[in-house]
Amino acid sequence: MSVDFKVVSHFASDLRDRAAIAGIGATEFSKDSGRSEMRLAVEAVTAALEDAGLEPADVDGYSVFSMDNNPAIEVNRQIGGGDLRFFGRVHYGGGAACATVLQAAMAVATGVANTVVCYRAMNERSMQRFGAGVQDRRPMPTAESAHFGWYAPYGLLTPASWVAMSARRYMHEYGATSEDFGRVSVADRKHAATNPAAWFYQQPISLEDHQRSRWIIDPLRLLDCCQESDGAVAVVVTSAERARDLRQPPAMIRAAAQGASHEQQMMTGFYADRITGLPEMGLVAQQLYATAGLTPDDIQTAIIYDHFTPFVLIQLEEFGFCKKGEAKDFIRDGNIELGGRLPINTHGGQLGEAYIHGMNGINEAVRQVRGTAVNPVKDVEHVVVTAGTGVPTSGLILGRD
Amino acid sequence: MKKSETPLLDQMRQLTGAPVGEPNTARDPVNQAMIRHWCDAVDDRNPVYTDPEFAEKSVHGGIVAPPTMLQAWTMPGLMSREEREARAPRGPSVLRLLDEAGFTSVVATNCTQAYKRYLRPGDLLTVSHSIEAVSDEKKTALGVGHFVTQLTCYRDQNGEEVATMRFRLLKFRPTERSAGAERRGAPKRSRPVPSINHDNRFFWDGVQAGRLLIQRCFCGKLRHPPGPMCPVCRSLEWEAAEACGRGTVYSYVVAHHPPIPPFEYPNLIVLVELEEGVRIVSNLVDIEPEEVEIGMAVRARFDEVEPDRILLQFERAKG
Amino acid sequence: MREPTRTTTLRYHQVAIGDELSDLTLPITATVIVSGAIASRDYQDVHHDRDLAVERGSEDIFMNILTSNGYVGRFVTDWAGPEALIQRVDIRLGAPNYPGDTMVMTGRVKEKSDGIITVELVGKNGLGNHVTGTVDLRLPQ
Repeated sequence: MSVDFKVVSHFASDLRDRAAIAGIGATEFSKDSGRSEMRLAVEAVTAALEDAGLEPADVDGYSVFSMDNNPAIEVNRQIGGGDLRFFGRVHYGGGAACATVLQAAMAVATGVANTVVCYRAMNERSMQRFGAGVQDRRPMPTAESAHFGWYAPYGLLTPASWVAMSARRYMHEYGATSEDFGRVSVADRKHAATNPAAWFYQQPISLEDHQRSRWIIDPLRLLDCCQESDGAVAVVVTSAERARDLRQPPAMIRAAAQGASHEQQMMTGFYADRITGLPEMGLVAQQLYATAGLTPDDIQTAIIYDHFTPFVLIQLEEFGFCKKGEAKDFIRDGNIELGGRLPINTHGGQLGEAYIHGMNGINEAVRQVRGTAVNPVKDVEHVVVTAGTGVPTSGLILGRD
Repeated sequence: MKKSETPLLDQMRQLTGAPVGEPNTARDPVNQAMIRHWCDAVDDRNPVYTDPEFAEKSVHGGIVAPPTMLQAWTMPGLMSREEREARAPRGPSVLRLLDEAGFTSVVATNCTQAYKRYLRPGDLLTVSHSIEAVSDEKKTALGVGHFVTQLTCYRDQNGEEVATMRFRLLKFRPTERSAGAERRGAPKRSRPVPSINHDNRFFWDGVQAGRLLIQRCFCGKLRHPPGPMCPVCRSLEWEAAEACGRGTVYSYVVAHHPPIPPFEYPNLIVLVELEEGVRIVSNLVDIEPEEVEIGMAVRARFDEVEPDRILLQFERAKG
Repeated sequence: MREPTRTTTLRYHQVAIGDELSDLTLPITATVIVSGAIASRDYQDVHHDRDLAVERGSEDIFMNILTSNGYVGRFVTDWAGPEALIQRVDIRLGAPNYPGDTMVMTGRVKEKSDGIITVELVGKNGLGNHVTGTVDLRLPQ
């Protein structure tokens, strides 16, 4: 695969291989967990610590989503954690996923903390569905509230609707079709079908199923939209040296980065000269490759954030796996399925496994590096992971020690 | 005239007692099949409704219909909205007057049925309606409103009155606190309102006055959505420039799900590139979704989407 | 399925003010709501189409008033017997009956005169009182 993709070296940071993911944990994924978000959080966090072979008292830092409803101090008190020296929250929805690991890695690389836990716990399906849209919000004279005022009075109220507006323009400019979007769902569901932890375990779909699924917001069909899920996922980040002494082979954080473009909007990037790209993800990709000293050719598998299928295509382009506008051709050749050039979302993604704001994808990347994934990709050296798209975002490259 | 009376009350009280619409005769006589269906639905095992042998020996001397099934006999059945509207009574009506006066929400509060005799298979009912009473303006937990009592008379094939029904409802102007309760009784909700602050007030004031205003820095840079500072020259000074309203469709979506009141679906939402160069999100109206194309010429208009609420909308440019 | 209803009817002298009716516990399901609406020829979409009911601002489909009347009628004659004659039903409407809820109907004899007894009843669900009111019944002497 050769794409004219130039890595810009001045984007390199000093983070390469300074920290590692030493432990991962998760609850089951469901539509109604039947327990509190706080309980989901402590279950996932203690599972991740157990996986790493660490004690709750070893934890001295947290890095979590600002959207998570469970304060880190509360989680820490519940699990009997230690005194905390670092606690940060990252904003902008699912864009925070890999950024929690970035900030944890920065904390351990600089000695600010030794053991930092990142988690996301939510009863998103049974308690607070994002897909229901931003109805019933009381208008406040704040910037974030005013932002919705440009869309809500017209009925542009849901994440799907915001993505659909960009997707339509992308289809117009590059000739991508609804079927091209559907191929992402088909790949994800194929991978979920062999993952017992996936909600859609043993339920693959065909492209015809996708095309028959109803409109949510034309051009997006039901099967272009990720699930809504209850569940929790946690990871434990510590220094590379310490990780080598722990229970699991470390998943080295070869690179981690955040990105927001100079014209960044929150899901409604409708105003830039071109709206068919995700420049913030391009910025993340540049930093990741530069920091890791890698190119797209060095990546064997990727977890591509898939809340809505069109942005998977655009991310493949931003990461240089194919040229701008050519993702439809890249995925048409089966490249993103197991056995293809770049199998993506081998756990089933958020369309197939569960929607835990991207954190379940980080767990899968760790399993691919360890060689314990249920759908293992052969000879994995490096895995790309991306976070929420259409928003200020983040990404990781994880690799073997 | 009592002091509390208002022109609205006066008008409404002139209409009380008068029939509402024409009397309406049931499509079918009282019959065993519908009785059985009803008894199955509410699991009523009373044998006088369905067991001819038992019924014959009973006080009734034969099958009778459940009295509480009264209304079912004259229900119109399945109709399209158009048919229903075509059959709605014309002319002034108390409910319409209340709607027009802003008492748009409705909740049923009481239903009283009195039966003169049990109905038997073969009875053919004719129903007539009138407004029996309208209350003074009342303050209720749901909001300020009027209680309206409708009187319905059921007559048989001989013109004998067999039953009456009084149906009492509250027509009210919802308060913010009652919004939740209103959701159950009355469907109409308003479109989400924008958050208005120092940076965007000019835009929404402009829309209310029928003008499409775009923020323009004195350096010439147009900005939408607006903000306090010009990203080109850092000026905090700006003016509101009126856009000509012409533009083209840059992108669009057709919303189907989830249905969020009060929007009607499918809902066509467009990203318009204005002739001046900025883009803005709005609805495209008076057009079928299949007819929309990227690049299509559109123009702004200002619709009163709700009472006293003007919203920017776009339509296909003519010519 | 419940047992067949009684075939004998209470006599007027057998009933005293304060007597309690047998409770009726009704699990509210979509089937209960839809079959009641259609049996009463009420095709308003809020009684059978969940998506439209939600679009119109309701939580779900909900029971129509005609069906509530039907349960009130059944509740009193299940207790009093098939030859008790319903003279008048006077109800006040409250919390809607949504699928997944349960309505428990309770009642007692409130008044008694001239061969007619008045039953006072409440149908209560998880949200509050769905229906409260009175029913006048003529019982055999």
